[in-house]
Amino acid sequence: MAVKIIESCVNCFACEPVCPSNAIYEAKPHFLVDPKKCTECEGDFPVFQCASICPIEGAILDSFGLAINPPGSLTGIPPEKMAEAMAELQAH
Amino acid sequence: MQLPVLNDTPAHAEHGAKGGCAASSCGTTENQMDTLPDSIREKVQNHPCYSEDAHHYFARMHVAVAPACNIQCHYCNRKYDCANESRPGVVSELLTPDQAVKKTMAVAANIPQMTVLGIAGPGDPLANPERTFETFRRLSQEAPDIKLCVSTNGLALPDAVEELSKHNIDHVTITINCVDPEVGAKIYPWIFWKNKRIKGIKGAKILIEQQQKGLEMLIAKGILVKVNSVMIPGVNDKHLAEVSKAVKSKGAFLHNVMPLISEAEHGTFYGVMGQRGPTPDELQDLQDSCSGDMNMMRHCRQCRADAVGMLGEDRGDEFTLDKIEDMEIDYQAAMEKRAVIHQAIQAEMDSKRLEKAEKAQQLKQEPKLTTRPVLMAVATSGQGVINLHFGHAKEFLIYEASPDGVRFISHRKADQYCGGDTTCGDGESTLQVTIRALAGCEAVLCSKVGYEPWEMLEAAGIAPNGEHAMEPIEEAVMAVYKEMAAAGKLDATPEAARATA
Repeated sequence: MAVKIIESCVNCFACEPVCPSNAIYEAKPHFLVDPKKCTECEGDFPVFQCASICPIEGAILDSFGLAINPPGSLTGIPPEKMAEAMAELQAH
Repeated sequence: MQLPVLNDTPAHAEHGAKGGCAASSCGTTENQMDTLPDSIREKVQNHPCYSEDAHHYFARMHVAVAPACNIQCHYCNRKYDCANESRPGVVSELLTPDQAVKKTMAVAANIPQMTVLGIAGPGDPLANPERTFETFRRLSQEAPDIKLCVSTNGLALPDAVEELSKHNIDHVTITINCVDPEVGAKIYPWIFWKNKRIKGIKGAKILIEQQQKGLEMLIAKGILVKVNSVMIPGVNDKHLAEVSKAVKSKGAFLHNVMPLISEAEHGTFYGVMGQRGPTPDELQDLQDSCSGDMNMMRHCRQCRADAVGMLGEDRGDEFTLDKIEDMEIDYQAAMEKRAVIHQAIQAEMDSKRLEKAEKAQQLKQEPKLTTRPVLMAVATSGQGVINLHFGHAKEFLIYEASPDGVRFISHRKADQYCGGDTTCGDGESTLQVTIRALAGCEAVLCSKVGYEPWEMLEAAGIAPNGEHAMEPIEEAVMAVYKEMAAAGKLDATPEAARATA
């Protein structure tokens, strides 16, 4: 039972100090979670602390491998709108 | 890319009616500092970000030690890192406090006119208290001749005021975009507060309360507070006059209303959703309408969180980590050299200030013109004089000349925010982009202008003028204004000129 930080992490340091178990550490190319230490905040907080401050959608996965903050949930940009804008830019 | 909206009413027509002249804006407009008490003016007179006057002479730098943020703003994309971008929140290299101290001292020794070190991100400095305060603590000991300042979204401010006051930081900037949570919910999708992500109006309400509380606490400590606001048309543009009044009543000494920077390629909420930024006219109208109540700042360049140099320039490339690694800095010697240079600059500024005041007095003695106001663009690389070739200008300063005198209005960038490719965007040439950026101006003053731009400027209704090279800006602008008046060019309404832009 542990969360996982994946490559879309932007190394902003925000999650590291809020982890109640000191499970998050700086690494290259991005921050990582020590699965032996991570408790998923059980007993400390009702919500994942790292995923509650992380600004990047999809950068932290739960133990099922699902994004805790799915696309659109943090920025408010509907995923289809984002795809549309990116396609438009690619076309240029 | 937004085209400027052509107003039916010239931007200046309502100037008097709105009480713009009540503040610092008339006569030769010394700058926004005119109405400040001496004690405050003393503190900011060599601060390029707080004094319009000083920004012609003194430089600043930001060190990017603060990556984490505790809120999300709709104009920010936390993924960004592009060397060609110049706007807040963008950096190339994140620094440790130790690297930041080294870099600051290297810059101070090599650019002696650098007087101010700010921490502005790329996240929120107060959401990274250890890195931010470690940097401040060391710099206040090791480089005591550098002014320290910090800018923040305000969420963690009340808890940081005590610590801030310990490090001799006498300037804090708070970004306050609203005082109404309903407006706030359209700007801030979430905040991280007491171990929870809080969305919508509830989050915005907490943020606003913290900002206002922090502002009051700073004022109570005698720390100067400037307020930054991002003008977002249709979201908070109508609301910002109220913000201006509110923060002034609490004791903020300067209000800086900045235009939203919003392009789809930035990947921000506003960029992707097509929210536009304000036109120069809209920005100026809002600044003018607030200026009756508040000292307004108009020379902000919305610089990167790792910018180095005079406002409007970025010499960050000269001070990358690998380059500063090799620099041997004797700070004691540098400090002595800096003190001499600062004194010389101060003396020059004082004499120019005196000269300006005399000219303003003279103007008052002369029979008052009844002509309409005119916007002019100026190319300068500093020192308050016209000393830059048209083609070399990366930005232009915009001045308004009127029978009341000359006042600084804003700057306009000559190249696009993304300088990576001259044809990026609409496939316009850099020259075409520059001329479009000068829309609404009727003259451009620079040290020289080439043939090609000369013809294109004339065709766009902007008179090129290279006759005032090395002259003080305000004097030259007034001289050109008087020539235009004498030539009978100022009797007609400005619509014709604006429409050709």
